[in-house]
Amino acid sequence: MRKVFYLLAGLLLLSLQACGYNTLQSGDEQIKAAWSEVINQYQRRADLVPNLVKTVKAYASHEQQVFTQVADARSRVGSMQVTPEVLNDPAAFARFQAAQGQLASALSRLLAVSENYPQLKADAGFRDLQAQLEGTENRIAVARQRYIRSVQEYNVVVRSFPTNLTAMVFGMQVKPNFSVDDEKAIVHPPAVEFGHESVR
Amino acid sequence: MNRCAEQRLYLALFYCLIFCVSVAWAQSRIKVPTLTSRVVDLTATLDANQQKTLDQRLRMFEQKTGAQIAVLIVPVIGTESIEQFSIRVAEQWKLGREKIDDGAILVIAKNERRLRIEVGYGLEGMLNDAVSKRIIDEVIVPTLKRGDLYGGINAGIDAMMRVIEGEPLPKPTGKDDRQGSGFDLLPLILFAALAISGFMRALLGRVKGALAASALLGLAVWLLSGLGWLAILAAGLVLLITLVGGYMGSGWQGGRRQGGLRPYRDDGGYRQIGWGGFHGGGGGFGGGGASGKW
Repeated sequence: MRKVFYLLAGLLLLSLQACGYNTLQSGDEQIKAAWSEVINQYQRRADLVPNLVKTVKAYASHEQQVFTQVADARSRVGSMQVTPEVLNDPAAFARFQAAQGQLASALSRLLAVSENYPQLKADAGFRDLQAQLEGTENRIAVARQRYIRSVQEYNVVVRSFPTNLTAMVFGMQVKPNFSVDDEKAIVHPPAVEFGHESVR
Repeated sequence: MNRCAEQRLYLALFYCLIFCVSVAWAQSRIKVPTLTSRVVDLTATLDANQQKTLDQRLRMFEQKTGAQIAVLIVPVIGTESIEQFSIRVAEQWKLGREKIDDGAILVIAKNERRLRIEVGYGLEGMLNDAVSKRIIDEVIVPTLKRGDLYGGINAGIDAMMRVIEGEPLPKPTGKDDRQGSGFDLLPLILFAALAISGFMRALLGRVKGALAASALLGLAVWLLSGLGWLAILAAGLVLLITLVGGYMGSGWQGGRRQGGLRPYRDDGGYRQIGWGGFHGGGGGFGGGGASGKW
């Protein structure tokens, strides 16, 4: 009788650690944290836009087309729902990525345009904003990389045996990750190109 | 069925390929240099005296404000961008105090003529991107353009220190800010506990010993997942089980380490064994700062 009890207690402990429930939970939490950092940095970029546009407008008022593109992309990003539920919905995730990518390319076009205005380039305020934009793009890259890493670790646990059984029981699915394609566009800070506009 | 097997084979080959490519890619990145002092110069550009002067100034600054600044000079970075390299350095060196994150690194790639100021979370207020960029463009680069590396670095850290002094940071505590040694030691304690229980099991019976081992294992994993108070509790339990539950040897497979989901700490062993010199205090970085070239 006693032996059976010990055996059961041992098995229970063993199953608790082997099923990986805790690992899955902490992984899930970590992804959420990494994701909010990503959102945070994207938000920071969106917040920079109005000032940047205002400064460029002061010197290059007739580049109306670029301004509308930036404004459109900005409002699309702003209207996006970015709850953690996005993480469980690959389609919403892809939409989010696309919207951020559009803003990134609109901004790089804005910077490309500003290359044609020497006075603008010499403006101290503009240079500060440019540095902030570059810094923010880099922060986005770092946050994304950390998100990718935590999703990778989580997905490995969700997929490998025997933790996949636990994941199945609790309905925890593989999380979507950033696609490499888009990554390329963002890892490099917006390129300031001469002459032609960068097209995505 | 045959087709299925074939598909599987292709899939396996595909994964092999991906693996090889990623290994090759990982190797193409240069290794993060070891943090041996506040000024790490892999190009041997600075002479011993200059290095000492810089080191001393940075040390005094840390004593005064608590913030850690380091300088890294490498010949080339290679395939990565300086931003990618420098964040890897920051993640490994962990400059700045833990939770306060008041670290900063000046990274210089000499032959590529690129440089970057990497700023920890805690310093992003004063030493923000725009200020970092100005320090690079207006203070460091003009001097570097004249070929004076030492002068550029000196002026650069000067400017950085002046800016950081404006940041309201908590006063440095007298002693070293290295974080809890007890926490770092826990795996070791556990290892010892395991060894003891193994010894006990070898000495005595089998069934209960195996059970004790399995319980131990479960708790060990819990421990490795990083819950501090639980870990201590677990250590106590381990001992209790070893003492009360059963001593005795039966097959128990070596530790299953499920370290998988620990936060970004891939630098094992850096802080455990004291090295006389300089070490980061555990500060975090998020990619703030600015880059430039000359």
